[in-house]
Amino acid sequence: MEITTSDLGLVARVAQLSKSYGSGATEVTALRDVSIGIRKGEFTAIMGPSGSGKSTLMHIMAGLDTPTSGRVWIGNTDISGLGDTELTMIRRRRVGFVFQAFNLVPTLDIEGNILLPFELDGRRPSPQERAWIDELVDSLGLRDRLRHRPHELSGGQQQRVAIARALGSRPELVFADEPTGNLDSRTGREVLSLLASATRSAGQSIAMVTHDPVAASYADRILFLADGAVVEDRGRSSAAEISSFMLEMEQAV
Amino acid sequence: MSSFSVREHVPSILVATLSSTFGVALLQGTDALATMIAADSTFGSSAAVAVALASVALVFIAIATYVGAVVTANTFSTIIAGRTRTIALLRLIGASARGQRAAVAREGLVVGVIGAAIGALLGTAATAGILGVASLAGVVPWLQYSFLEPVLAVPVVGVVLTTWIASWVGSRRVLTVSPMQAIGASHERSADSVAHRRGRNAAALVLVIIGVLLLGLGILAGLVSPAGVLIGVVGGMLSFTGVVLGAQVIMPRALRLVGRVLGGSASARLAAENAVRYPERSTRTTIGIVIGVTLITMFAVAGGTFQALFDRLLSGEEGAAEASATIDAVVAIFSVLIGFSALIAAVGLVNNLSLSVLQRTRELGLLRALGFTARQLRGMITAEGAQLTAAAVLVGLVLGFFYGWAGAQSLLALVTGSPSFVVPVVPPLLIVLLVMGAAVVTVVASIAPSRRATRVSPVTALAVE
Ligand SMILES: Nc1ncnc2c1ncn2[C@@H]1O[C@H](COP(=O)(O)OP(=O)(O)OP(=O)(O)O)[C@@H](O)[C@H]1O
Ligand SMILES: [Mg+2]
Repeated sequence: MEITTSDLGLVARVAQLSKSYGSGATEVTALRDVSIGIRKGEFTAIMGPSGSGKSTLMHIMAGLDTPTSGRVWIGNTDISGLGDTELTMIRRRRVGFVFQAFNLVPTLDIEGNILLPFELDGRRPSPQERAWIDELVDSLGLRDRLRHRPHELSGGQQQRVAIARALGSRPELVFADEPTGNLDSRTGREVLSLLASATRSAGQSIAMVTHDPVAASYADRILFLADGAVVEDRGRSSAAEISSFMLEMEQAV
Repeated sequence: MSSFSVREHVPSILVATLSSTFGVALLQGTDALATMIAADSTFGSSAAVAVALASVALVFIAIATYVGAVVTANTFSTIIAGRTRTIALLRLIGASARGQRAAVAREGLVVGVIGAAIGALLGTAATAGILGVASLAGVVPWLQYSFLEPVLAVPVVGVVLTTWIASWVGSRRVLTVSPMQAIGASHERSADSVAHRRGRNAAALVLVIIGVLLLGLGILAGLVSPAGVLIGVVGGMLSFTGVVLGAQVIMPRALRLVGRVLGGSASARLAAENAVRYPERSTRTTIGIVIGVTLITMFAVAGGTFQALFDRLLSGEEGAAEASATIDAVVAIFSVLIGFSALIAAVGLVNNLSLSVLQRTRELGLLRALGFTARQLRGMITAEGAQLTAAAVLVGLVLGFFYGWAGAQSLLALVTGSPSFVVPVVPPLLIVLLVMGAAVVTVVASIAPSRRATRVSPVTALAVE
């Protein structure tokens, strides 16, 4: 019998994953033979140079993109073979997203955007969920912005709305692509503490792509990618340790 | 700089072609009719008949060309909205806004010339074909029909000019693109300038008020003499011009109202928001259909009312059936002629929905990523199309009903001998045809965009250009 993802204490897992774009002379290999798991209840940071395959890995793990070869699980569900509708349902109910850019639906106000996952599912938030969303809205400083449209907010504020949306429905797994890229350091720290506490208090698992050693220092675990492969997997580290490892990596090239 | 893309302009060329085909064929057709009448010498002065026929034809051509111009202006402004980033980039590196706009207008001129030329050929071919077949079948006499009357220049040149002007009007947005938008956030904002519209709305309101007052006066005068309808006609023209001018106030409201009927599901709500996202754009998308439906309804209601009244008065009398058939035929011919404008308007709606879906690729990808199923996405786009069509048809129906009744009331109040209220009649066939037409337009408008939208991979939303 096969060992399931949850037996391993994981919420998501990829095995022998490869992804290439295009074909022939223009073929680009974004990921080569990657096998990793995201541990349940952990805050995982994914780092690596630009173009190393971080976003691609995140998209495939989240069921947004399909692998060229290899298998992908979310929970105990093997999503490699799923049809479009089933994949959509998994994204809707079990995964939350904060993207690198363009996160919000321009026609909906901030509250509409935050509640969109519930709306897509055709239900209203329960009182407990409502309370959790209120807490998110307050701690992200969005309270007096609920009636605004996305274009009336700064880039960092938009990013915070996306975070509220991603955490609001308490999906088991949240993917965040450079969520603090647009934030000043103070707001950035607040967002990171919030993400970290979401894993601790709500048992959610978070995978975050980042270039910033300080941001990565909030994570329980840090994965380093280079040229489409995982080159390092280490536990909680200080910003200084992370910086020096990144320097080493650069010099190795 | 030549950014002329034929593909982008296919819909505008199609609209110009349709207008020009219609104009050329209609004038050639009426000319042929005049030729037949002249050959059949029982009628009076054939020259006068020819002029009268051509005049009526020109009215319908003017309506079709106007609707075509509105559609083209809208298409161009949608295209410009999609090019904002490119234009901003060019501005950033030093291109002038005026120069950019002039370039767009040149594209409009090319589109107009191509469409008008193709239309002239198609229209001539159609008339020649129909006359040829009809002559062979013995339906019409073999005569020396002329296909090159000077009056044909009117629709052809008219289409070129209106398309050119429409592209100029539609490209106004170029002036509002700031170089900042090349580097700014990707979120679009609806830059409909409100201040711009104040004067226009005031003028619209004045026209509507004067028009309605005149319509009322016409109805009162109708109680004394059928000539009251002439006052009513002026009132109708003024008030309808007011409605078209002030459509930006009316249509978004109508769209919201219809949007509420669509229901509260996520896709319906998003569709409702999308339909009023750019009030200016949705107004121009729908106004052509409003014009068409208003005119068709007006003729049908006036005709139906007329007929019901005559049936009652003349029942049993000789010639009643004939009179009734004549009314039917007149209403049918007018409806077909107006129907052509409605067709052009429908092309505009279809095109606009496709373009706006194309420009929302990222947003659709985002919705897919967050858990919108392909089916919900299709539902959203269809709802958007249905909302635009239904709002346009409803507004047209209400206006047309009112105008049709006002006309019948002023003209027929005295028919029974003493001044009386004329009960308006809505022909059921009209409703059936309008509902079917609206359904067809909605489906046709939604097929291509929803197919394209469901092919959008969620990842496209995340690509950082
Ligand atoms: N749609 C695509 N078509 C072709 N190549 C692609 C596509 N998407 C990504 N790639 C390539 O795959 C590689 C990995 O890209 P990816 O976006 O995952 O990098 P990243 O680590 O997220 O970089 P960054 O830090 O700059 O966001 C890059 O070489 C990129 O050019
Ligand atoms: Mg990336």
